[in-house]
Amino acid sequence: MSRLVQVEGLTKVYGKVRALDGVTFDVEAGEWIAMMGPSGSGKTTLINILGGLDTPTSGSAVVDGVDVARFDEAGLTRYRAEKVGFVFQQFHLVPYLTAIENVMLAQYFHSTTDENEARLALERVGLGDRLTHVPAQLSGGEQQRVAVARSLINHPKLLLADEPTGNLDEANEQIVINLLTELHIEGHTILMVTHDASIGRLADRRIELAHGRLQQIITISAEN
Amino acid sequence: MFARLVGESFIRSPRRKLLAVAAVTVGMAVATATLSMALDVGDRLAREFRSFGANLLVTPQSDTLPLEIGGVDYRPIDEGSYLKESDLGKLKTIFWRHNIIGFTPFLDVPSRISDGKSVIEVTVIGTWYQHSVAVPDGTAFKTGAAVTHPWWTVQGSWFAEGSNECVIGERLAARLFPAQSAIGQTIELDSAQKIAGSIANARNSPVLLLVTGVLSSGDAEDDAILVPLGIAQAMSGHGGEYRRLFVSALTKPEDSFSQRDPSRMSPVEYDRWYCSPYISSIGRQIQEVLPGTEGRPIRRVAETEGRVLTRVSTLLWLVTLAALAAAALAIAATSAASILERRAEVGLMKALGATNVVVGGIFLAEQVLLAVTGGAAGFLLGTGLSRVLGESVFGIPANLRMSLLPIILALAVFVAVVGSIVPLRRAALLEPAPILRGE
Amino acid sequence: MFGRLFWQLIRGNRGRLAVALVAIVGGGAVISAMFNMEIDVRRKLTQEFRSLGANVVLSAHGAGDQALMNESAADGFVNRLGPQGTISSPYLYLVARTRANQPVVLAGTWLDRASAITPWWQIQGEAISARDDVTRCLVGKNVARQFALTPGSEIELRYADKSAHFTVSGIITAGDDEDDQVFTNLAAVQNLSGLVDRIQMIQLRVPGSVVGIQSFASQLNTALPDADARPIRQISETEGSLLSRIQLLMITMALLILVLTGLCVLATMAALAMERRADVGLMKALGGSIGRIVRLFLAEVAVLGALGGVLGYLFGVALTLWAGKRVFGVMISPRLEVLPLTIVLMVGVALAGALPLRLLGKVKPAVILRGE
Repeated sequence: MSRLVQVEGLTKVYGKVRALDGVTFDVEAGEWIAMMGPSGSGKTTLINILGGLDTPTSGSAVVDGVDVARFDEAGLTRYRAEKVGFVFQQFHLVPYLTAIENVMLAQYFHSTTDENEARLALERVGLGDRLTHVPAQLSGGEQQRVAVARSLINHPKLLLADEPTGNLDEANEQIVINLLTELHIEGHTILMVTHDASIGRLADRRIELAHGRLQQIITISAEN
Repeated sequence: MFARLVGESFIRSPRRKLLAVAAVTVGMAVATATLSMALDVGDRLAREFRSFGANLLVTPQSDTLPLEIGGVDYRPIDEGSYLKESDLGKLKTIFWRHNIIGFTPFLDVPSRISDGKSVIEVTVIGTWYQHSVAVPDGTAFKTGAAVTHPWWTVQGSWFAEGSNECVIGERLAARLFPAQSAIGQTIELDSAQKIAGSIANARNSPVLLLVTGVLSSGDAEDDAILVPLGIAQAMSGHGGEYRRLFVSALTKPEDSFSQRDPSRMSPVEYDRWYCSPYISSIGRQIQEVLPGTEGRPIRRVAETEGRVLTRVSTLLWLVTLAALAAAALAIAATSAASILERRAEVGLMKALGATNVVVGGIFLAEQVLLAVTGGAAGFLLGTGLSRVLGESVFGIPANLRMSLLPIILALAVFVAVVGSIVPLRRAALLEPAPILRGE
Repeated sequence: MFGRLFWQLIRGNRGRLAVALVAIVGGGAVISAMFNMEIDVRRKLTQEFRSLGANVVLSAHGAGDQALMNESAADGFVNRLGPQGTISSPYLYLVARTRANQPVVLAGTWLDRASAITPWWQIQGEAISARDDVTRCLVGKNVARQFALTPGSEIELRYADKSAHFTVSGIITAGDDEDDQVFTNLAAVQNLSGLVDRIQMIQLRVPGSVVGIQSFASQLNTALPDADARPIRQISETEGSLLSRIQLLMITMALLILVLTGLCVLATMAALAMERRADVGLMKALGGSIGRIVRLFLAEVAVLGALGGVLGYLFGVALTLWAGKRVFGVMISPRLEVLPLTIVLMVGVALAGALPLRLLGKVKPAVILRGE
């Protein structure tokens, strides 16, 4: 298994605040990583940098052979379209586009749209009968599943999820977690931020942060 | 607390407020400028129209009928009434004296001149070109054909007051001097006495005049010889007199009120008529200071003024209306936009327990404050704008009209409030929770 | 996808875009109405200036009542050389005498043309509208006073050894020479004087520009060496500068209204931009480039401007028709050329006002998606 992600000395400073302070770790392809820690620990900042949504102050983050930290705006834009898929806590679907259009949006920014593929992606997450519904007509769980379908449509190397079940009730939470589990089995590399220990236990390894610094990395199988 | 909230709210995020204030300022500036122009246009155009020349003709009241054909009066010179030149200063003492822009007396004298082959009849017109009249209050008033007949153009120069110079009409000049310029030539006129027999006080000898210019008037004067009034008076034996007076006055166009018979008006109505610069009331005032005269509007000119003024005035008011509507829309839109932007604040305040009334009150108060500030700024800007406009369009900068300020402020506030009502009502219906959640 | 995104964008923000559209339509309507009027204002106001009757006088050489010209010849040239719509009226003057041997100027003309040539006449009584009416006359107000005449009175006028009787039909107030004259139809005066086919002058009302009128006058001068054709200068010279000034004023006002419309659009777009920040942040997170996103918004705004321009023009037509009636009392025909002009202007205004949308390009996805 190859190293998909290599983070070294990653630092992010906002004024006087050190959101990340010299974080170093690796991720192998196919791993499911849970990033945990109290609020303000820097986990969201870390995942944003890995997702190309933010740039570090110093350090490097090599994903699939290229250092994300060195990208300019255009490079980051391509990276976001091609290399990663992001799932947000607040879903962030476009409210006036249908489910299938929301998925096609990601295709549009990548290269060309393929309605058929988008349909298949939605069927994969169990929403084949909800293609033409707008977000307002979907439950929280359904919206998040659309978001997951969207994040995968361009076959990214890395799937990033920031508290994906944070806004869901228990039943929907379970559905989304099951989906992520299936994806992991299929071989996707998943980096997930969560504060829920029970969800964290589903991952292969747990990276724990506090005050912007890496506290410890725990291999789950070892725990069990 | 309320005041504090409004104050704090007003000062915060000045950049967002900028757009709203800008809209009010520009909107009210345009409103001020167009309103000033529309209100002033009557006066401005009245002044413009004076370039048409005289609009009032004063003649002796008990005159015999003039026998005018083609601008030549065929009456014998000793027939009919004459008017005293010395009375003319009184024209600048009437109620509307500042509206009298100029006046010019005319005295026509028949004469004869030789064109080398034969003797031809010509009319000699005595008049003023640029003359200084003594006004009873001690000042002097400069007036003459330059003011009342501005379309007359002279090649060369006009005669000097009191001199033995003259200006010849261009058609006559072509007849008398076909091969050369008439300017600089001397002409000889038969005296009136020689033509009409013995006249008391008239000059007996021929009159020698130096031609200083050639007149192009497009009218009967092109066949005549123009001389200083004094020479015509001497030639005809009517010293110190004239026969017709053309007056150029700034007037207000006639309307249904002014066309009523003044003798049938009630005292209050008469006062109103007298104190409005209708051409008829100015004519009446002239009659009062110049005894034995009759003043009548030269309808041809007066009609045009009235028509054009009405048209332009209506046009301008329409434009003003359009500008006001545009301003209102701009202000309403920006008020609406700025309130909608701040839904989060509304949600927060409601979550803290504020009632719709309080929330609405704070926002409205802020809008009013914005409207007043922007309105005042807009008024200043608009006044400057109307000065520039007035200068470039009419040549005279517009006056500062402080009386417009309260109107402008009221308008701004009204529009801002009305524009805010819809978004405020929608904001009132919002639940705090979804807003705070970030939806 | 672009098309889909585009339409969904518009549908999703219907309310806001509708407000912007209203502003653009309003601005467009006013602008196109002003352009329509602007083009015509010159002509219409010129007509107002012109409606003061004659603007060219053709008079026989010489002075006074000795100079005469051939009526039919002169008339022939006028009809041939004059521009379409020229109205002419010949004049013959005599000094006639009343029964009491008092002199008075008698003018013979085509009284059916009086309302066109001397429209400022105020007639108390009845005007004469038939050219062949040789039994009635109009008298100037001073004549009426001098000879104690009222409508219905009889007057006898003599010239040389002939005399003619007229019934006074109306009294003229003109404020000029005409108050001292008696008017009747040309035929009567020619009969009375025996000067058949003779006139002293023709007053002409010639439509067109100052330059056109002057050229007509010179053509007449060449064709009729015995006569003199001259434009009446008094009014026509002053028109020009006044008209230019009024046009300038209108253009300035139009510009100001455009600015206001732009502000309105700007305000709406700013609010729209506010609402779209989340969507823009998302699109950037999905890998959408700034250029693409901005192009999308600009296309939306351009369509808004174009649509607003077309609708604005249509409303502007209605506005023009109404305003024309109010200002000039006549229909002003709207011009088709104004349509593309309005569209271009409104698209321009919309794009200018869409500046806030372009600033969306600077949105940082991480900041937005964090929910700030």
